[in-house]
Amino acid sequence: MSVNGEILFEIDNLCKAFGDMLVLDHISTQIRKGEVVVIVGPSGSGKSTFLRSLNLLEEPTDGTISFEGMNITDPSVNINTYRQKIGMVFQHFNLFPHKTILENMTLAPIKLLKLSKAEAEAEAMELLKRVGLEEKAHAYPAQLSGGQKQRIAIVRSLCMHPDVILFDEPTSALDPEMVGEVLSVMSDLARDGMTMVIVTHEMNFAREVGTRVMFVDEGQIKEENTPKEFFDAPKNPRLQEFLSKIL
Amino acid sequence: MLSGGLQNVCGSFLVDFKDSLYQNFIEDDRYMYLVSGLGTTLVITLFAVLIGIVLGFLVAIVRSTYDKTGKLKVLSKICGCYLTIIRGTPAVVQLLIMYYIVFVNFDSKITVAIIAFGINSGAYVAEIVRSGIMSIDKGQMEAGRSLGFGYAQTMWYIIIPQAFKNVLPALANEFIVLLKETSICGYIGLMDLTRGGDIIRSRTYEAFLPLFAVALIYLLLVMILTKLVSILERRLRTSER
Ligand SMILES: Nc1ncnc2c1ncn2[C@@H]1O[C@H](COP(=O)(O)OP(=O)(O)O)[C@@H](O)[C@H]1O
Ligand SMILES: [Mg+2]
Repeated sequence: MSVNGEILFEIDNLCKAFGDMLVLDHISTQIRKGEVVVIVGPSGSGKSTFLRSLNLLEEPTDGTISFEGMNITDPSVNINTYRQKIGMVFQHFNLFPHKTILENMTLAPIKLLKLSKAEAEAEAMELLKRVGLEEKAHAYPAQLSGGQKQRIAIVRSLCMHPDVILFDEPTSALDPEMVGEVLSVMSDLARDGMTMVIVTHEMNFAREVGTRVMFVDEGQIKEENTPKEFFDAPKNPRLQEFLSKIL
Repeated sequence: MLSGGLQNVCGSFLVDFKDSLYQNFIEDDRYMYLVSGLGTTLVITLFAVLIGIVLGFLVAIVRSTYDKTGKLKVLSKICGCYLTIIRGTPAVVQLLIMYYIVFVNFDSKITVAIIAFGINSGAYVAEIVRSGIMSIDKGQMEAGRSLGFGYAQTMWYIIIPQAFKNVLPALANEFIVLLKETSICGYIGLMDLTRGGDIIRSRTYEAFLPLFAVALIYLLLVMILTKLVSILERRLRTSER
């Protein structure tokens, strides 16, 4: 996909402190339409906090984030309407256990996009078919395996027609044999041109599917580059050390 | 000789018992004290339960919103006072205050009792529901918010239904407690089940049968409710989770 698309996120000197601890330290970057940005880095370095700042699940303590030209860190902005355009997939799936798979997927489109139940369900079934889970439409989340839950979480976010999807370690809570099925859904999305920002430890996925890889360390982006440059010719010493440990 | 005496004793006891039953319940239609008293008890319990649920949920939502987001501070403090006062004073005293002070010019005793017990039960329901809300994983709120739901919408569509399900058995138990608690409404001259039995006692000068009859009726009601709760619990456990 084109990585010269329009700018979706413009992040300017983003800071986040928890108490005295500065977790994000003046982060500035852009994310363009069609990009698949993979964020890697040591545990506790601020990857999740950065990702969660993009839809304001974490409120920045300083700096600005613009989404599609609108400064969403401005307190007068109603963030709910923007969040509809920013999908999110969590490490622990966060499906709604009291609702069936179909209800999980149609709740937001019906209530927020004002789709009719029939429209929303037809679309949800279509997506379920795409990830091979249409026979689970009337099951409850507890009846699914981890890999199935995460695939549902992904299509649930797709039901809102987001312009970008944020993934926070989507495969880290899965048994190893289920990682592949989730990554393959994500690869398909990337191929279809979905803009994605992904925190993950899956380096092969980062290399093959990512259009840009970002190394976050001590609350800063220490290096960002194309996957090839990033993995084959890392410049930052901390990144070199990080890669030598995990590859 | 000996067995004949025993027979006599038994026989006269049975005769006495029959007389006693007749006097206490049949004569002058005295059983109606129990029937109408039971009606009053059930009406008060039912409506107090409804008020208690609504009030309890509102208070629980305000307090857990403050706990989780720091918003609604003033409202939450007011709710805190309400809980402290209601849970720190006897229900009888609350009932008397309602009747003699708050609703002094009010005609309907039963309405006063319903309000008093509703407010009382709301305090206990609030704590049950709040624990239910706080027990829901915070990922649920985040998932709702990330789809674009507001805080209140996420509460309503996602958090409350799960919390309600989790605390349903505890809520049901609270209502069993409330059913028994309404037995104090004779204090404001209401004719509930307990009072009904007591009136029979004062008419027949016999305590045993009327009071045991009252106790038996409460016991049966509680046993039925307890059974329903356990059926409910089993249902909830088998569905989906
Ligand atoms: N809600 C929070 N309150 C306090 N500290 C937090 C909170 N969330 C994260 N942190 C801290 O911020 C740092 C970065 O966390 P996180 O962004 O989750 O790292 P990563 O995802 O890279 O492992 C960690 O030291 C973590 O303990
Ligand atoms: Mg993390």
